[in-house]
Amino acid sequence: MNPAQQPNTDTAPTTRRKVLVIEDEHFISELYVRALTRAGYEVVPEVDGQKGLELAKTDQFDIILLDLMIPTITGIEVLRHLRGPGSTPLKAKIVITTNLEQRDEIRADIESQADAYLVKAEITPRELVEFLNTIK
Amino acid sequence: MDNLQKFVSQVRGRLVVILLINNLLLFVDWWVIEHLIGASTGKLIITLTVITVLSLTLLPWLSTKVITQPTKMIWQAILHIAPDAANVPAPNLKQHSIGRELVANLVSHVYQLASVVDTVEKTAARAHADLKTDFIANSLPLPLIVLDKNQNILFANKAMLDYVKLSASDAVGQSVYSVLDMSFGNEHTLDAWLVQAKANRPVDTKTWERVRLNLPNNQPVRQFDLAAYYNRSNPEGFETLLVFFDHTDSYSQDDQALSFVALAVHELRTPITLLRGYLEALEEDMQGSLTPETADFIHKMKVSAQSLTAFINNMLNVARIENDQLVLQLREDTWPNIVRTAIDDLSLRARVLDVEISANIAPDLPTVGVDRVSMYEVLLNLLDNAIKYSAKSPNKEVLISATVNAEGLVETTVQDAGVGIPAGILPNLFEKFYRSHRSKAQIGGTGLGLYLSKAIVEAHGGHIWVRSKEGIGSTFGFTIVPYAKLADEKKNGDNNDINRGVHGWIKNHSLYSR
Repeated sequence: MNPAQQPNTDTAPTTRRKVLVIEDEHFISELYVRALTRAGYEVVPEVDGQKGLELAKTDQFDIILLDLMIPTITGIEVLRHLRGPGSTPLKAKIVITTNLEQRDEIRADIESQADAYLVKAEITPRELVEFLNTIK
Repeated sequence: MDNLQKFVSQVRGRLVVILLINNLLLFVDWWVIEHLIGASTGKLIITLTVITVLSLTLLPWLSTKVITQPTKMIWQAILHIAPDAANVPAPNLKQHSIGRELVANLVSHVYQLASVVDTVEKTAARAHADLKTDFIANSLPLPLIVLDKNQNILFANKAMLDYVKLSASDAVGQSVYSVLDMSFGNEHTLDAWLVQAKANRPVDTKTWERVRLNLPNNQPVRQFDLAAYYNRSNPEGFETLLVFFDHTDSYSQDDQALSFVALAVHELRTPITLLRGYLEALEEDMQGSLTPETADFIHKMKVSAQSLTAFINNMLNVARIENDQLVLQLREDTWPNIVRTAIDDLSLRARVLDVEISANIAPDLPTVGVDRVSMYEVLLNLLDNAIKYSAKSPNKEVLISATVNAEGLVETTVQDAGVGIPAGILPNLFEKFYRSHRSKAQIGGTGLGLYLSKAIVEAHGGHIWVRSKEGIGSTFGFTIVPYAKLADEKKNGDNNDINRGVHGWIKNHSLYSR
């Protein structure tokens, strides 16, 4: 194969970054998994808060997408376990993805613990990928 | 009582000495009579007279000096300190050479006694004052606590202990932060304020609104306004006083009102997220096989879904304004950047409707003090309106300009050559849900955008206006205050917070310290 014909390495990093998508809305999860996989990410979807937390604690992920309204334990609780007092630091960046709206001070509390806070309705899956590409 | 016994025995000794002197004089008397018998009567009379005079003067003098006067002096000291004999002067101890030390001792005893009595009286007064303070503090229905210089709790009144369901022993002596888990919602916390106050001011006050207190064991969150008074040099070490004004009921009612809107918002946003996501996926999958017409349809659907998102945000903000919950935080920002972001974000919509947006931004604009998110919404609303109304007109050009006006304010205008607005309805344009009959029929929207924009601009200290002519087009403009001017205002004001807004709904309208 001619080197000029090789795929563009800008969009396909040599070590694939691993993303945990904690999202219980099946269709949204499907869209995110699709867009992230196409962009070269390795994706693990999870619908349950408690199971998501256990997965996150294995510290194998570069990025964790965390919805707030999820079953068993809420995203806020997952976040508190991962970033609250006494938690073990993980390498993963935590990005909150939610359509929930809350009072400014609660949002500020969440934002202070997470690395980013995104409203799902305000971005398309492709825009989400573009944003994650900028997170190092 | 050693001194008193010494005094008594000394007085006894002195009496004995006086009696002895008296006896001696009597003996001399007898001796003179015995030996001078037969001598001339004149000599006898003189001698006896001398002895008599001597005993009549020496003895009283001596007894006065060594007994009466010291006793009198002690009595005077007692009278001097007695509360109802204020005119008696203090005894002059120097008057006395005989037994001065002892008398001085006794007098000083009297004074010591007096000072003990005095202290007892003062302590009683003090205890009375403490009782009064305790009574006021504990019967006050407002929770309050007093902190020392290390932010440890020195005192918590009964209302406070009831409020946080703690006993005094759990609270007093503990750090306020370990006893009270408060969230202030931004970085202007009690801690941050105290650090500032300690560094800069001997005395300071501050209030916060809508502070939340998280209680252990899943008890419901308390919401209150907090007032603080700081005094570095309070003699008792009472450095900070905190008073809690509970508003849990009314604030959570607001929360519930908002939470209905929040629920609606969540329910609307989820399908929009999906619509936008699947449209994007559809477009990607069919890339290359789309007819121009289908591509145009997909494009229009994407734009419509996007404007639904914007509408939902407007709805949410109106709910916030009406529940007094929109909080603006003014920061120094570069205005052209915000304007360009808004233009970029609306370019897709403009392109679909074939409208062209051009910008004319003065190169030397000063930085502005704005809440970026809110101001971005104002721009979005004005630009979106301009695009909407231009789309119906043959001249599809929108011009956005930003300059410094005659008053030194940054003035931004959005000009369209659209249908224009009839003069009769211009005055009502910024009211909620107001739209002209004509536009209602032809152009979608909720009529919330201008109402919101006006509220946001005025809360920033600016002014919003419109000029329009039917068939010619409209120009909407608004002013914002340069950051330097706001910073001056902050410096000169006696309060840290700049509160503004026609609706009175700006809470902690605070400038971030640089």
